[in-house]
Amino acid sequence: MPQQLSPPEPLLPPETPIDAGSQALSEALRSSFGIVKFVMVLLVIVFLGSGFFTVGPQEQAIIIRLGKPVGEREKALLGPGLHWSLPYPIDEYKRVPISAIQKVSSKVSWYATTPEQEQAGTETTSLPVGTPINLLADGYALTADQNIVHTRADLTYHISDPVGFIFNFVNASNAVQNALDNALLWAASGFKVDDLLTRDVAGFKETVKKRVVELVEKENLGIVVEECLVQSRAPRQLKEAFENVIKAEQTRGKVLNEARTYENQVLSKAAADAKSRINMAESDRARLVNDVSSQAERFKEVLPKFRENPRLFIQQRLTDILGRVLTNVQDKVFLTVGDQGNPKEFRMLINREPPKQRTEEAKP
Amino acid sequence: MKRNPLILAIGLLLVLIVCLLLFVFQVRKSEVVVVTTFGKPTRNVVEPGPHLKWPWPIESVHRFDQRVQNFEDKLTEGLTQDSFNLLSSVYVGWKITNATAFFPKFAGTSEPIAEAERVMDRMLSNAKIAVMGKHPLSDFLSPSGEGNKFTEIEGEILNVIQAQVRANNYGLEVVFLGIKKLGLPENVTASVFERMQSERKVLVEKSQTDGERDAQIIRSEADRNANELLAKADSEATQIRGKGEAEAAKSLKAFQENPELANFLFSLSALENSLKEKSTLIFDQHTPPFDLFGGASTNLLKK
Repeated sequence: MPQQLSPPEPLLPPETPIDAGSQALSEALRSSFGIVKFVMVLLVIVFLGSGFFTVGPQEQAIIIRLGKPVGEREKALLGPGLHWSLPYPIDEYKRVPISAIQKVSSKVSWYATTPEQEQAGTETTSLPVGTPINLLADGYALTADQNIVHTRADLTYHISDPVGFIFNFVNASNAVQNALDNALLWAASGFKVDDLLTRDVAGFKETVKKRVVELVEKENLGIVVEECLVQSRAPRQLKEAFENVIKAEQTRGKVLNEARTYENQVLSKAAADAKSRINMAESDRARLVNDVSSQAERFKEVLPKFRENPRLFIQQRLTDILGRVLTNVQDKVFLTVGDQGNPKEFRMLINREPPKQRTEEAKP
Repeated sequence: MKRNPLILAIGLLLVLIVCLLLFVFQVRKSEVVVVTTFGKPTRNVVEPGPHLKWPWPIESVHRFDQRVQNFEDKLTEGLTQDSFNLLSSVYVGWKITNATAFFPKFAGTSEPIAEAERVMDRMLSNAKIAVMGKHPLSDFLSPSGEGNKFTEIEGEILNVIQAQVRANNYGLEVVFLGIKKLGLPENVTASVFERMQSERKVLVEKSQTDGERDAQIIRSEADRNANELLAKADSEATQIRGKGEAEAAKSLKAFQENPELANFLFSLSALENSLKEKSTLIFDQHTPPFDLFGGASTNLLKK
């Protein structure tokens, strides 16, 4: 080819001086052609380079080639880092936040409030009892005993099946939200208001979580439920009424505790008394036995003396006793027989001495 | 002349691309495609990947998302079997399963999905009213395990709606359904609150009276137990004393040798004990030894 092209070449130089304008045009064309070429190469590079994408630390990505995901299930997932796919429209890629914790909150059964109000604590916490509640404005759930309560939940989960999460649902997190809403309503419909609010809060929470897990499984959402936090509250119209019940319960506990304290006191006192009564009896018993046996001993000693001379013995004992008695006795009165042989009349005032005086007298 | 092959190659590539654009379309995994020939749906393509078609205007491609869509219906009112008014709203997960059936029914509108949801909304209201009328309120609200049929009711509504969708051949399928809101008409709620308030009052009174009653029971039981304890102790004490007496009785045998002397001695010691302190004794002259004052000693002398 170059050999064929070379002969006309010497013809070119003479052409140039013929038309300076056309030469300038061809120069311009050549250089602009060069620019176009350069731009085209650049475009191709940019086009191919557009296939690069990064996957974040808590994400995974799937490449979809001609509509089909590349690779099967786990193999289809690309980890964090830089990846390259063929440019659109051949390849497309989708990022899925797989290890990041996702969160949904259910507020369909909660009264209307904004996060700002909650933060500031300015939400209305009590209303007059007669205020009706409109389901369109304020959400609530009905309990097993046909009462109205407010309940809400925060659910955290992570995606376990990203392929299903992307290709089976238009909005899978919305479906999780619906499942949570439903779980709250369902759980409330099986709980009595007191169990739900106070007696079995943990049980209620567990029931909600169990239901969400069931629904997630049934609806094939491809997620794993991590944590479910549930908060419930009595209607604002009945705040005071519900608080009164709690107060009454506390008073009841107090009254019962007082009664138990009394019980302890009474029983321990009775136990002590009982013990002391038994001890008293024991000591009485010991004394009686000792007394009698010592008397018996003495009797045995005395008996021979008595037998020697009963009359003298008795007389001696009597006088002995009388002597001792009379030394102890404070006042002794001896009545002689009067002139007519009648005993003389004697009157005395018996005055009980105050006990204090007696102790004073006893000292000396 | 020099650039002919390159230009040719580029030209061919461009033609190829144009042909591909005209004759090939791709179906994503999340899509289902209806191919219409002169406006008439002829093919339903579900398999993801590239597919062939005749270029426009012979055949054209309509894509639909075949993933599960979420839809919530409007809050509607229905009567339960026992004539309670209940407001309810449900959510459904639905998807397009047969695009050739779906397409002619809904694709005429600008938003086929929204149109399909409007149709479902109507069907759902009817289904809810029909199912609700078959159940008393207690089927919706009662302790789990005691006749709570919440899940069964959801299942029944789902069955009704699935049957209707199938009968009408809408080319879509309702995959799941759940109740999202359940409530009472606004004018009823005020009386519910009043009832709840009176229930609370009953509870307050109950815990007051229960507390007092239980406390009373505890106190009286404590008293009773204490008395029992003391009575037991007393009886034990009596037994102990009895034993003591029995033991003492053994020693009493010694007195049997001369009971009269024993009595005499006991009397003496009793007398002594009783007159130990602060007593006043009044004697007449016949009482020994004061009979001495009356001359009793003379008897001795006479002898």
